[in-house]
Amino acid sequence: MSSTYGGWAGNVLRVNLTTGQITTESTNKYHDYIGGMGIGYKVLWDDHVDGIKATDEENKLVISAGPLSGSGAICSARTTITSRNPVIRGHLITDGHFGGHFSPELKYAGYDAIIIEGKSSTPVWLKIVDDKVTLEPADSLWGVGVFDTFATVSKMMGQQAQVAAIGPAGENLVAQSTFQTQGGHSAGGHGSVLGSKKLKAIGIIGTGRVEIAESTTNEQLRALDDHILGIIGANNQGVVPKEPQSWAEYSGGSSRWRGGPGVTWGAADDPVILEETPWDDRQKVGMRTSMAEMYFGREEANKIFKRPGGCHSCPIRCFCELKNPKMKTEYNLPTEYLTNTCMGFLDPWYSMGKPGNGEKKTDIMTIGGYYMDDLAIWSAYGQLSHLMREFTKRSFWEILLPAEEFAAINWEQYANLDAHFMQDYYTRIGLAKSYNGSNYFGRFLGTGLHNFINDEGELYNIQDVLDGVETPRMAELTFALEADLEHDYAGKTYSVFLDEGTHVFNRSMVGGLHHASEAAGQVGALLATVFNRDPQCHSHINLINCGLPYAKIAEVAESMWGENAFDPVKHYTAMNVAKAKFAKWCLVKNVLHDSLTVCNWMFPLLVSPDVNKDYLGDSSIESQMFSLVTGIETSEQELDDKAERVLQLHRALTVLQMKEPDQRNNHDELCEWVYDMDPEAAFGDEGTIKMDRDDIQLGLDLFYEEMGWDKATGVPTRATLERFNLGYAADKLESLGLLPA
Amino acid sequence: MITRRALLANGAKVAVGTVYYGTLASFLTGCGSSDDTSESTVVKVLPGGLMVVNPVYCVGCRRCEIACSWSHGTSAVSPSTARIKVDKNLNFGPHGVQPNYEDQRGEQGDGTIVPSTCRQCDVCMTVCPQGAIYVNETTGARVVDEALCVGCGYCADKCPQQVITIDSITRKSLKCDLCEGNPNCAQVCPTGAIKFYTWEDAVAAVEQHEKYLTLI
Repeated sequence: MSSTYGGWAGNVLRVNLTTGQITTESTNKYHDYIGGMGIGYKVLWDDHVDGIKATDEENKLVISAGPLSGSGAICSARTTITSRNPVIRGHLITDGHFGGHFSPELKYAGYDAIIIEGKSSTPVWLKIVDDKVTLEPADSLWGVGVFDTFATVSKMMGQQAQVAAIGPAGENLVAQSTFQTQGGHSAGGHGSVLGSKKLKAIGIIGTGRVEIAESTTNEQLRALDDHILGIIGANNQGVVPKEPQSWAEYSGGSSRWRGGPGVTWGAADDPVILEETPWDDRQKVGMRTSMAEMYFGREEANKIFKRPGGCHSCPIRCFCELKNPKMKTEYNLPTEYLTNTCMGFLDPWYSMGKPGNGEKKTDIMTIGGYYMDDLAIWSAYGQLSHLMREFTKRSFWEILLPAEEFAAINWEQYANLDAHFMQDYYTRIGLAKSYNGSNYFGRFLGTGLHNFINDEGELYNIQDVLDGVETPRMAELTFALEADLEHDYAGKTYSVFLDEGTHVFNRSMVGGLHHASEAAGQVGALLATVFNRDPQCHSHINLINCGLPYAKIAEVAESMWGENAFDPVKHYTAMNVAKAKFAKWCLVKNVLHDSLTVCNWMFPLLVSPDVNKDYLGDSSIESQMFSLVTGIETSEQELDDKAERVLQLHRALTVLQMKEPDQRNNHDELCEWVYDMDPEAAFGDEGTIKMDRDDIQLGLDLFYEEMGWDKATGVPTRATLERFNLGYAADKLESLGLLPA
Repeated sequence: MITRRALLANGAKVAVGTVYYGTLASFLTGCGSSDDTSESTVVKVLPGGLMVVNPVYCVGCRRCEIACSWSHGTSAVSPSTARIKVDKNLNFGPHGVQPNYEDQRGEQGDGTIVPSTCRQCDVCMTVCPQGAIYVNETTGARVVDEALCVGCGYCADKCPQQVITIDSITRKSLKCDLCEGNPNCAQVCPTGAIKFYTWEDAVAAVEQHEKYLTLI
């Protein structure tokens, strides 16, 4: 270990694909930015180049772990990937993440991060065996699916290698593509960045160790682990079972504590029939989530669910390891097994119109999930599939596609909910121009919606856009569904900003809906104004979906942020300061987790399943873990301040990349549908999640104040940046006229 | 000679203090039955037991590896120095990457994780030229005497389970010592997949594990 602290491996690897030069540098200069996302944003700030596209040679990509990864700290195996993202308007910077076992292996090999720069002239893969790092030819891997790529690289390196790779989608420069690691874990938005650099894969074998601070004892580590196990719930910090169990005072809500009586790991070689999963039975912690039934329904799940899975060091296990024999027998896939969670299943289901539970749905989700992962396609939190479904429902494809191409797509399969449709559907998206035949359809879906709409969200002629026509025609799409009548939209020009079905939420960024106004009212809505992609923030979800009664959640929220911080979902009250504080807290914790790197799908742990604790959790666990592992005694507030430094730098870098001094009106706008949905209802009525324009503007005022951002523009002030030792960012923005006066 | 089949068929138990030869010895040390030609290997079963994983329950979190690291020496965490091995078989199973890897064990195969644990056999003790591995009379664990160990690696090379490592820093052998009879790996396992079995109860558990060591 080259640093004097525990946790950090001490080295950052810099790989220049243009020159083939591989160097290491110290991690120490990134300690103030914690690690993970913090390293990513600092590198991208330091190496900023104006006006480049994500796939340009000058763009850099950072794969990074935090000081907790590999240390054994609970749920600490996230990997952050930071770079410009072609799915985002202006190709702004975003961070994607995957779990699995990759970042611990990176740490065991001796590195906290890998900076990828330049562009190789031929396909290569990066081989890391401790301090032996080489670029290897990947010509034979180019065009190969992700699953076979993992196998081939592992065969060459050794079976214990942890491998991450892009698929054909990334190679074909499909914007909506992923970088993936074994076990169904994928990070979105940067597959084509790596594809443009011709870097197919990274394989790691690390035989070293993650040092823990000398001042920390084994007993302290176990004691903290025990403390966390007394607080942690199921996935998304559900702390009560979904269905009643004899030990539980409460049940239900949105809890993901699905494991219990009636649930079976039915595809296991010896089926495991779950019984009650009491919160204090440490040997059943890994059974409590068992959430396949959330996606497939209990009857189907009990047939195909083999076991829960997930990441290194996580006892909660949010992944679903499945066995669907029909994958082989009916769909001719080389496997009958699949592991994934969330969008890995939901994107195919959304695409096909969200059919009800049953074999057809199971086939759609497993077959579709297989193709998505093998081609390494990114759904952008479902934006791809929402477009597919809504445009099909509106019969837009017949208008948008050449007649021959439209006829070549098997719409009968689609109408029949036949999962055979999945093969051609995802192949078109993944292969893009390389698809054998006319393929405006797949190219449109894979290129990123922002390329195809004007400032009003109206579609251009997609063939013109894809053919590079300088002044594309409009697509001439109109609202024509019966449901459009209630909005008085019928007959008007179609706009994705008006259509809630598309789930575009952040109007400025054309960013997808992800736990926004449907979750915690203005709190969720405000979260969607800050990041450049869909906000992958679960800080609020891990409280509000915990399953406890509303009164208890509101009590916790009030103690944290003030009165009326959390309204009942779908029964919102006006914006207030407490909600602004809540929103800021969510973002700071989110950035903290992506920097440490721990799982924001579990942390923070504000509540617990323990009635003897009055169901309260412990918001300082992250700082306790950080202190023990690194040996740097750090309070919760001190660690949050480090995370906020990264968040402020993120905002400053967004301003710099956009060259836009008015973030408020050009980055933080929400779509019209957010305000205009449910035309019969008013904001605040019970049962609606619609927001109010003036109220959200007040929300931005209050939120900016909490963040220390200029109220008129939403840009961090010099005082704010200097408070976080980001004076260099203030200087840079000021020199370009981008800093508020 | 007691065969594995006969042992299981008649419900016989492995008795404390009994000396077994041949097939059963191979069974307990993980050698396949096709190798059961030698009568020379002896497993002397003493009070105590061994750790065995049921792959059906293993969810691949590797908290056992972590707890093992946290239970020995400094707190540094490393799958290399952990005395239980999950990472090697994690993705592709015990036989590595096969042409039909989709059907084999491992995360990239049928999703079954097959960790390797020390079976407290005598192989390491037998091959150690220093006599540095001894039996803890309380637990029955075969334990390395660090004062005598010279890090030659014979034990690691010959370990039937391949779960012994030579620490790259201390140059001492690292093997399962059963944590003085209170194994930390089992304490942190979130599904009870790894358990401490007395010799009397170990046979069925070992056979269950053995099922997952074969090539499909």
